[in-house]
Amino acid sequence: MTGSLEGKTALVAGGRGGIGRAIVARFLREGARVYAADLTPQGSLAAHDEDGSIFVKLDVTQEADAIAAMEQVKSEAGKLDILVNAAGIEIEKTIEDTSLEEWNRSFAVNCTGTFLTSKYALPLMRAAAQSGHSASIINFGSYDGFIADPGLAAYCATKGAVHALTRAMACDHGPEGIRVNAICPGYIDTPMLQSFFTGDGSGGGGKTIDQLQQAVRDVHPMRTYGTPDDIANLVNWLASDEARYASGQLWVLDGGLSAQVQQMKL
Amino acid sequence: MRLAGKKALITGGRQGIGRGIVEAFMAEGAAVSTCGRGDRPESLPEAVAWHSSDVADAERVMELALAVGPVDVLVNNAGVQVEKTVVDSTDADWNLIIGANCRGVFNMCRAFIPVMPQGASIINIGSISGKVADPSMALYNASKAFVHGLTRSIAVDHGPSVRCNAICPGWIETGMLEAGFDLSDDPHAARQDALARHATRRFGQPADIAAMAVWLASDEAGFATGQLFTIDGGMTAASPINTGLF
Repeated sequence: MTGSLEGKTALVAGGRGGIGRAIVARFLREGARVYAADLTPQGSLAAHDEDGSIFVKLDVTQEADAIAAMEQVKSEAGKLDILVNAAGIEIEKTIEDTSLEEWNRSFAVNCTGTFLTSKYALPLMRAAAQSGHSASIINFGSYDGFIADPGLAAYCATKGAVHALTRAMACDHGPEGIRVNAICPGYIDTPMLQSFFTGDGSGGGGKTIDQLQQAVRDVHPMRTYGTPDDIANLVNWLASDEARYASGQLWVLDGGLSAQVQQMKL
Repeated sequence: MRLAGKKALITGGRQGIGRGIVEAFMAEGAAVSTCGRGDRPESLPEAVAWHSSDVADAERVMELALAVGPVDVLVNNAGVQVEKTVVDSTDADWNLIIGANCRGVFNMCRAFIPVMPQGASIINIGSISGKVADPSMALYNASKAFVHGLTRSIAVDHGPSVRCNAICPGWIETGMLEAGFDLSDDPHAARQDALARHATRRFGQPADIAAMAVWLASDEAGFATGQLFTIDGGMTAASPINTGLF
C-alpha cells in the first residue's frame, strides 16, 4: 500500500512533544521523509524511542535556529512539502498574575515561533509547490482562540493571533501554491493537559485529578477528550493532496465541546 | 428621545423580552404597536396599539400590515420554544416552532419591507442557541440559525433602504428561566451554577436586550447591518469547561 504522503518531505516543529510525536509517527507511516524539530531529542516527554524521523534542533524563538534547520532540510531534501507548527506552551495565569517575561515567552513560542519557522520554510515550500502539488503549512491554533478557558489569558491571546496569522499567510502564499490552515484542538490528552489539571489555573476545588478528568470528559458531547492521534488524523489529511482546495481555514477538533452552550447543571 | 418620530412594531410584546422592548421604545419617544395571539393584555400601556395576530399565519400578517401601515422599525421578537431532541419532536412541534420562529419572521419581513421607508431598521431576535446548541432544544436551535441566515440575506438584498440585524440573547430572566430552575432537583444550586458561568455574575433582564434594540433602531446605528449582536453576560465567551465548578 502506498501512503498518502509518499515522496513528500515534512518538518514538524515541536515534533517530539505530545501532539507532535503522533503527527511524526503518522507522517512516517504515510511514507513521508520527516524532520522532527524540537529543543531536545526527547522534547517535552521523558524519553524518546527511535522512530525513523530525523531530529533537528530547533528553538522556534531563535531566528538562527530556524535558518539552520531549513538549511539542513535544503541540503538533504532540496524542498519542503509540509510544515507543521506544533511547538507551543501555556501559562496558567490571569493577565494580572502574568509577568511581562511570561507574556513575552508565550508570544515568542506560540506566535513568533510560527512566524519564524514559516518565514524560513517558505522558499523550500515554493520549491515543493513547483512540482504541481500544493505545499501545506499547518499551524496550531486552539479552541481557546475562540472561547476562553479561565486563567489562561496569554495562551488564549496567542492562539487568537495564530488564527489571524493563518488567514493572512493563506492569502499571501496561496498564489504560490502553498496552502495554510490551522488546527484548533480542544482538550487533548497530552503532558500540557495534565499540567492544566495539576496547575494553579485549574481551580481543582478539592477534587482528585481522576475526578477532574472524568468531569471534563462528561462535559464533552462525545464524553471523552481527544488523543494526539485524533489530531494527527486531521493533520495528515490537511498535509495530503486530498486537501488541495483547503486553505485559510480554522479546523476545530474538540469532540463537540464548542458546539454546545455551557452545560448547566439543571 | 432617540426614537422620537419613529413608528415601531414589535411582535410578541405581551411579556418577556418583547414587552421590555415595547417599554424601552416608548420611553425613547417611538409610536409603538405590538401584536400577539389572543386578546390585549390588561397591563399593556394605553399608548401602545395592540393587534391580535399570529405571525405564523401569512394571511393574518397581511391584514396586520394593512392595519398598521408603514413602520420605521420592525422587531421580530415573537417566538416559541419546545424542549425536545430531534427524535422526540413531533410534526406538531415542527409546525409550531418553524411556524412562529421561521415562517413568522419571513411573513413579517415579506409584508413590511415593501412599505418600509428609507433608513428603516429590522431587528430580529435570534439566540446564542442559533450559534451553539442548547441540549434538547433541537428545533429551537435550528430555527434561530434560520433567523441568523435570513437576517444577513435581508441586509444584503434590501441594503440601500433597510438595515437588518439580529440580537442573540443569552439567559434572560423571564418566567421561562425560572420555570427551568424549578424543574431542577436543587433549584438553588442550579441557579448558582448557572450564575457562575456568566462573567457578569447575573442573568440578563429584558431591559438589557431592549437597550441594544433601541440602539439598532436608532439612526446612530446607521452603518450597522447584517450582523448578529450577542448579549449574554459573557457566557458564550467562556469555555464550557470551568473546573472550578466541578
